[in-house]
Amino acid sequence: MGRLIGYLRHYRARFIAGCLCLVVTASLAMSVPLVLKCGVDHLADELARSGASVQGAPATSRVAGLAGNEPCLPGVTGADVSTYALLIVAIALVQAFARACSRFLIFNVARDVEYDLRNDLFAHLESLPLDFYHRQTTGDLMSRLVNDIGAVRLMLGPAVLNLLNTPIYYAYGVSIMAAIDPALTLAALAPYPLVILVMRHNGRRLMEGTLRVQEGLAEMSSTIQENVSGIHVVKSYALEDVEAERFEKQNRRLREASLKLAKVRAIIGPTMRVVSALGILVVLWMGGTRVAEGRLTMGDLVAFIGYLNALAWPTMALGWMFAMVQRGRAGMQRLQAVFAEEPSIADPPRASGERGPKIDNGEIELRGVSFAYPDAPDAPVLRDIDVNIPAGATVALVGRAGSGKTSLLRLLPRLFDATSGEVRIAGRDVREYDLLELRRAISMVPQEPFLFSTSIRANIAFGIPALGTDGKEGERRIHEAAEWAAVAQDLESFPRHYETMVGERGITLSGGQKQRVTLARALLVDSPILVLDDSLSSVDTHTEERILEALEQRRRGRTCLIVAHRLSTVQDADLILVLDKGRIIARGDHATLVAEGGLYADLFRRQRLTEELEAI
Amino acid sequence: MSEPRKDGGADAAEVAGIHAEAELERAYDADLLLRLWHYVRPYRVIFWALLAVLPVASALMLLQPYLLKIGIDRYVETGDVAGLSSVAVVFFLAVLGEFAALYLQYYLTMSVAQRSLADLRRDLFAHMERLPQAFFDKNPVGRLVTRVTTDVDVLNEAFATGAMTIFMDLLTLSGIVALLLWLDWRMALATLTVVPILLLAINFFRKRARVTYRTIRERIARINSFLQESISGMSIIQLFAHERESYAEFGTHNGSHRDANHLANIYEASLFSIVEAASSISMAIVVWYGSGQILAGVIAFGSLVAFIEYMQKFFIPIRDFSAKYAVLQSAMTAAERIFQLLDTEAEPGTQSTAPVSADEAERGAVVFEDVWFAYKREEWVLRDVSLSVRPGETVAIVGATGSGKTTLTKLLGRSFEVGRGAVRVSGRDVREWNVRELRREVGIVLQDAFLFAGSVASNVGLGRDGVTEEDLWRTIRAANLGGFVESLPRGMQEPIRERGNNLSAGQRQLLAMARALAYDPRILVLDEATSSVDTETEQKIQEALERLLKGRTAIVIAHRLSTVERADRIVVLHKGEVREVGTHAELIERGEIYARLYELQYSGARSRGAENPAGDVSA
Repeated sequence: MGRLIGYLRHYRARFIAGCLCLVVTASLAMSVPLVLKCGVDHLADELARSGASVQGAPATSRVAGLAGNEPCLPGVTGADVSTYALLIVAIALVQAFARACSRFLIFNVARDVEYDLRNDLFAHLESLPLDFYHRQTTGDLMSRLVNDIGAVRLMLGPAVLNLLNTPIYYAYGVSIMAAIDPALTLAALAPYPLVILVMRHNGRRLMEGTLRVQEGLAEMSSTIQENVSGIHVVKSYALEDVEAERFEKQNRRLREASLKLAKVRAIIGPTMRVVSALGILVVLWMGGTRVAEGRLTMGDLVAFIGYLNALAWPTMALGWMFAMVQRGRAGMQRLQAVFAEEPSIADPPRASGERGPKIDNGEIELRGVSFAYPDAPDAPVLRDIDVNIPAGATVALVGRAGSGKTSLLRLLPRLFDATSGEVRIAGRDVREYDLLELRRAISMVPQEPFLFSTSIRANIAFGIPALGTDGKEGERRIHEAAEWAAVAQDLESFPRHYETMVGERGITLSGGQKQRVTLARALLVDSPILVLDDSLSSVDTHTEERILEALEQRRRGRTCLIVAHRLSTVQDADLILVLDKGRIIARGDHATLVAEGGLYADLFRRQRLTEELEAI
Repeated sequence: MSEPRKDGGADAAEVAGIHAEAELERAYDADLLLRLWHYVRPYRVIFWALLAVLPVASALMLLQPYLLKIGIDRYVETGDVAGLSSVAVVFFLAVLGEFAALYLQYYLTMSVAQRSLADLRRDLFAHMERLPQAFFDKNPVGRLVTRVTTDVDVLNEAFATGAMTIFMDLLTLSGIVALLLWLDWRMALATLTVVPILLLAINFFRKRARVTYRTIRERIARINSFLQESISGMSIIQLFAHERESYAEFGTHNGSHRDANHLANIYEASLFSIVEAASSISMAIVVWYGSGQILAGVIAFGSLVAFIEYMQKFFIPIRDFSAKYAVLQSAMTAAERIFQLLDTEAEPGTQSTAPVSADEAERGAVVFEDVWFAYKREEWVLRDVSLSVRPGETVAIVGATGSGKTTLTKLLGRSFEVGRGAVRVSGRDVREWNVRELRREVGIVLQDAFLFAGSVASNVGLGRDGVTEEDLWRTIRAANLGGFVESLPRGMQEPIRERGNNLSAGQRQLLAMARALAYDPRILVLDEATSSVDTETEQKIQEALERLLKGRTAIVIAHRLSTVERADRIVVLHKGEVREVGTHAELIERGEIYARLYELQYSGARSRGAENPAGDVSA
């Protein structure tokens, strides 16, 4: 909640103005029945004076105003009924203005806070390590960002508005009514506690019912989910009817739970209406008697009815307001849980103004590095890795699936931090660099090509966004990168060339095209270290060779780390590291490793077989 | 283990309502309503009762101001306290009646809604189960879940707060107008002069608000898809130090959404305030005009009070109308999407009324005759495949990744239709079979088992009728699972979590075999698992496999050396074509594709145990 108050403070001027408008609105609203009373009393007086009542003289004395010559409203003298009517119109106009202001001021502040909250949450998400995204499903995060933020906004907007509104209405209403007739006030409001009673009595049933319906829905969702994911099993075992029956059971359970809940809801809604109707009944009966006895004026009666009507809506609002606040608080808690996640991989602490070290070459050293993913701390995926890679070298990592190649590469740009040991780049521990510096120094092409739903140009320029908009120079460098990645021709064949949109709103690229665009994205950034994590697997052998050749010619002293399954890619590397179960079990160049006859030689033999098969 | 998780992504896309942009702007569509009525029809008695209750509720509500008038005019002004009490009693009864009517109105509405929507849900699910495999490949899981849950819920919401109350509002409004005219037509006309002006104002704002709402929907959709993408691609954002730019872009989307909402808030606040002002002004008119009428002796105070009361009630539905209209609009969109799903064509052959039975002479035989198949136009995955499997024969299919093995089995169960040629099962073309019957005849078993949440019993017996506990035990023992199931605290009833997460890979494989044994198909198609298990489990699996294959036709996509060695024939698929057929010994002798595959896939397996038999070297 503290965080919310912090946000609100930003907008306190508008928020307070909104609250003031709310007070004005409420005050004006609660003055209307009073004006009405004066008008009616005045009318009754006039009627009595003219003696024109159809009911005859005795009756008029009962309804005549008791105020005598005193002005009914302070400052209003010599008024006649049309004055009061005009006054009501004037109040209505001012009130409309104040009401509109109060509503959009407060609701807009709620939207502003929603905006801030969403922005901050996004910024926070950007700072969280990859580990967080492995633990959290996208669906869950999205639900927080969409539903929970929405609930918080409803709490800040409508709920706050009514939370302020209802007490003001009650304060005015009750005090004015009590000034007219305390006993009648008490009697007229007597049914109102019924609301509390009904709420209390049904509140629990309501909660339980809602919960049961939600559970039913959740149960049903998972059945559907399961059936859709396992539809091949459903179909091959001809289970359609069996599953439909199982679903129907849940469906029927949900229906019964919903009907039960409907019974509770059906009581709560009408109760609110009935309570205000009962108040009016009391006014008619008890108040009417008092008017008949001459202890109250007709105007008082009208005023009471007016006030009870005015209180009806704020009373009803009470009911759902609490639910809204509950939901908002729960939502805020779920958001807070995300905010509470530590950005455990961050810049090293530095004195203000102090600048971090720069990376000026691509030397890489791993010293006794071990690593286990945080969600499986007992299953290390890298053990005691020691390796020294001089700047400008090409190193290939080879090993079976799960041997730790990708994990090793992830330690370089600190997507994860090593559990023990040191990862050093250009002579320093990676943790000494600012993340920005470190990551700018490493161009990485991950295994899974991921492109954003925007233009190909923006995707290639992802690492240096300025180039995406920077006219000639940007154009030249983007084309150059595409050329090296052997994707330029493909792009030229698209109707809108580099402006072609990809993904959701655009075209679907083939796996190979995607990989080459992600390669171009990495090549554009002229960083001292280039990492290719099996990133040419969907590219045909011929193109791959072209790419590697181009890389070789233009590498300008870059250090290259390559994971590849095609050993043809690997053969020419300066150093080949063979990984198995998280350890480096062999190292050397191609000829040495083949001669040694271990895992590498075996992999090489299999590779040759596969190539032979492909050729058949 | 370390790939970014993508599951749940689809759900989120739905949360995001990415498709909201395509939403159509309408709150009424005769065709959709007619189709919805089809679901209400079985409960029409409740529905008619509901329609009968609505005017009663409305009338009882409208009676109250009139009683106020009578009370004031007849008894308060004359000082008749006894008479007043009797009016009060009638008033009280009216209030009670209104309570009962409102209760009934809500409950009956929900009764009809919940019952008919439960039916709709049932149909949706049953239909979904009959959609072709290709449909599931195209549509994300989340979208389908949304159709059956959220979209149906939107309809429920529309029932509860939209349609029925709008009908009641209309009744109330016309009732009020009629009563006012009846009480004093001149004053009624004077009071109602605000209404046309009000309607103009409402129209003015509603038009603008509608455009703004559409903008808001588009912008929230953009925010959500941006979010979703950023979360999925967070590692790329971080790797390319793109945080600041992404944040700025997100801020732009977020800001434009906020701005549109600010505008909408202004419209809404104005509209709300104008309606409230109109209500007050009409009250002023009543006071002003009414006072003249009272002085002229045409009406009494009671009528004045009644007029004020009626006018108050008049404006509430008008104020809420736009919110209700919006609910109806989204309901229509939801209904449209639901019916779209219901209209998606079901698998061919599920509706076949005249099921062909197997040709007894060829019972258990499988024939592929010059089969061509492509998932995408002209990209042939299978080329001219011909293969004939005799009843009772075990045929192993081997081939490199992408050679078309799995596709072959999919054609057998008619998950996909052949491009050219024909597939015959037990002497009949698969297209002649009723699909369900076909799948009773051909059991396709994936050993990397997909298990359902439930129990051991429900996963093995598959919820079929007439399966006794004894049958289940026999099957489980045959699948070498007897000891394991007996050791479970709840035995056969031991719960199995979603996808069998609480079982080991080996246990899942054995359970899948037990399931297949219980299913007992004439023709078995088995896709052997590639996941590694310990030697002891491997032994158990092989034994169970032998029992499973015995006495039936079997087509096995083989990953185990023992399977290929024992098969009657081995068929080598290569690049979608049958390249070699023969026994293990014959094909090794031949020294071509199979010999290489054997070396690649099975020889290593011998030296390294069962681990990684497929060899992930092939790119």
